[in-house]
Amino acid sequence: MPRTINLHPFTILAVAVAVVTMTTAASHWWLSCAVLGLCLFISGWAGQLKKLSILSGVMLLPTFLSLLLIHGLVSRDESPAIAQWGPARVTVHGLEVALSLGLRTAVLVVVGLLCGLLIDKHQLVAAIDLSPVPPQLGYLLAATLFLLPQMAEKQRRIGEAQTLRRMGTGKGITGWFQRVRLRAVPLVLASMQDAQDRAVHLSARGFPATATRTRLRTVPDSQVQRAIRWIAIVVAVLGPVLILVLVLVQLGSK
Amino acid sequence: MYQDLPALTSAVLGLSLRSFTYLDGQDPVLHDVELEVFPGSLTVISGQSGSGKSTLGAILAGLLPRHGMDELVGTISVAETQIEFSKSSTPRVDVSQWARHTGLLPQDAGHYLSGIRGTVAEELAFSLENEGVPREQMHQRVQELAQKLHLEHLLERNPQELSGGQERLVALAALAMSEPDVLVLDEPLAGLDQQASAVVSTMINALRAQGTAIVVLVDSVRAWAHEAASLWSLEQGTLKALSSDEQEQQDKVTKETSRSVPEDSRVLLSLNSVNLAYPGASRPAVQDLDLEVRAGQCIGLAGANGSGKTTLLKAIAGLLTPVDGRLETFGDSGLLLQNSSDQLFERTVLREVSFGIPKRSPVQQRVPEVLAQLGLDSYAQTHPYELPASARRLVALATVLVRDPEILLLDEPTEALDEVGEAILQEVIRSELERGGAVVLSTHDGDFMEATAHRVFEMS
Repeated sequence: MPRTINLHPFTILAVAVAVVTMTTAASHWWLSCAVLGLCLFISGWAGQLKKLSILSGVMLLPTFLSLLLIHGLVSRDESPAIAQWGPARVTVHGLEVALSLGLRTAVLVVVGLLCGLLIDKHQLVAAIDLSPVPPQLGYLLAATLFLLPQMAEKQRRIGEAQTLRRMGTGKGITGWFQRVRLRAVPLVLASMQDAQDRAVHLSARGFPATATRTRLRTVPDSQVQRAIRWIAIVVAVLGPVLILVLVLVQLGSK
Repeated sequence: MYQDLPALTSAVLGLSLRSFTYLDGQDPVLHDVELEVFPGSLTVISGQSGSGKSTLGAILAGLLPRHGMDELVGTISVAETQIEFSKSSTPRVDVSQWARHTGLLPQDAGHYLSGIRGTVAEELAFSLENEGVPREQMHQRVQELAQKLHLEHLLERNPQELSGGQERLVALAALAMSEPDVLVLDEPLAGLDQQASAVVSTMINALRAQGTAIVVLVDSVRAWAHEAASLWSLEQGTLKALSSDEQEQQDKVTKETSRSVPEDSRVLLSLNSVNLAYPGASRPAVQDLDLEVRAGQCIGLAGANGSGKTTLLKAIAGLLTPVDGRLETFGDSGLLLQNSSDQLFERTVLREVSFGIPKRSPVQQRVPEVLAQLGLDSYAQTHPYELPASARRLVALATVLVRDPEILLLDEPTEALDEVGEAILQEVIRSELERGGAVVLSTHDGDFMEATAHRVFEMS
């Protein structure tokens, strides 16, 4: 059974943003690796290690391969080649660049996915609703998070109905494209109809609220968490600037 | 059991409508409608599909006329306020304020729910949240309402995981949360099994006992006649009080004479110890099922929601492979799915019925024939979404019949059908059986089942 972190969703997001910006700005392989290790540890504690590993792998493998192809194999830098096959040559510098960029991307992806797995969607929507942002923003996020699975279900039912009429039953990539083409229009039409049907009743239930709105759901928060959020935001904004200044000072002294 | 409240004379909702015309309509959809609704009363309005019931419901709930678009001439009295509508002036209505006095539950109750709340309790509190009611007060009101309507067991459930009956109960409770004087319910019992219907009816009675007036919009007054304070029929755009003779006529169920099926007729469908399960499901939806259907036979599948009726029909149609046992069909099958809108993809009825049929196929020639058989020929060039619900259901049926299946599978075929549509459906079943086909249908409509099925197979 996966565990959830009983923190305000904004606290998790603020810390995540600070970690990503600082790691990207610092650009040290060991720091990126440490962050990735910490993410895997947290996901293991939360019972989400397998899910995080699979999702990260699916997203990062093509990224690493493309970086390796661009910077590692067809690099035009002048550093000595480790290996060479005709025009393709592997250089130390090229590998370093590919690895550095790949690790920074990995931090962004893994931290982002971990946030997605740790934050309860309903808590996030409630937190947005209770914040001073326009109520439509909360609904938009909620609709994206919760209505997409409903659309997937609708798409499945349309597929069944088309199969009954012996359409969209082809195999392979051609069959897949045919199915996408056949299902797209009815899915969009049905979803629009659905949205129209829901909209009148949402209005009747007072949405969007014109004055202050409240939520039955409570979102855990505290002074400490609020302080952490402020610190994380300051670090996310000023941290990279500070690192840039330090680098410039170092370059100047040389 | 519900008991009539002492007579309260002042109407909580009054409608005096001279005409109502949609923006793009030539003729009025409704005209000369006079209606008064009293506290705690049950008003039943029946009408064929397309008769204007939903339009009337939307007018009562303040959702129509749309400002600057539709034209309503008449007056609506709500909460001691009389609102005048004329050709020259359509007052802008605050729908959320109106909903505090008159709420509307659509036929698809899921549309009333926000779809974005994690628990039933939050769904019930949705309108209170938008009003900015303090949390403690909301919590108290949700608990009180749930207790009153016996919904405590559902409060922590995810609204997305409710059954059809539970969804309707929750929508009804969410509607009642604002304590409106009048609730307008569009086909509140459609598609529910007997148990779920009884629970919804009990909730309706509980609301009436509190003094809430209920207006029910239905195809047939059959289930409501004995409790209703006033019964109306919506015909040709106007309301007429139903006389007792007309009520009896509507109560009457067409009982077809039982047709005998020769015992040696051809077997069209055979199931032996069949187990059916959806991919990834922990346990089978249908277990150890034996069934044989012969030519000329109509089999009714009965059972509560979730008993596996739809699963069985899908398996016979080839959408699901049995995990165990033997399922054999000796002829083509065609399945009418429960939700018509998932079965319609094209921009005209003609194109819809021809969908998926090769242009040079002889089956194309059956298209006009099937449209005529179902009384849809005048709709050939109409968009299926623009049709009344009953006609849309018949279009979905036409898409099945055009392929001339020997085994006709019907999942809740009477849902959304009006009386004319139901008569057409019965005729379709009769002709399918006469030409040596077989019909397997699932329905919660006991009267229809009794009138059509040779044998009822109880699913558990």
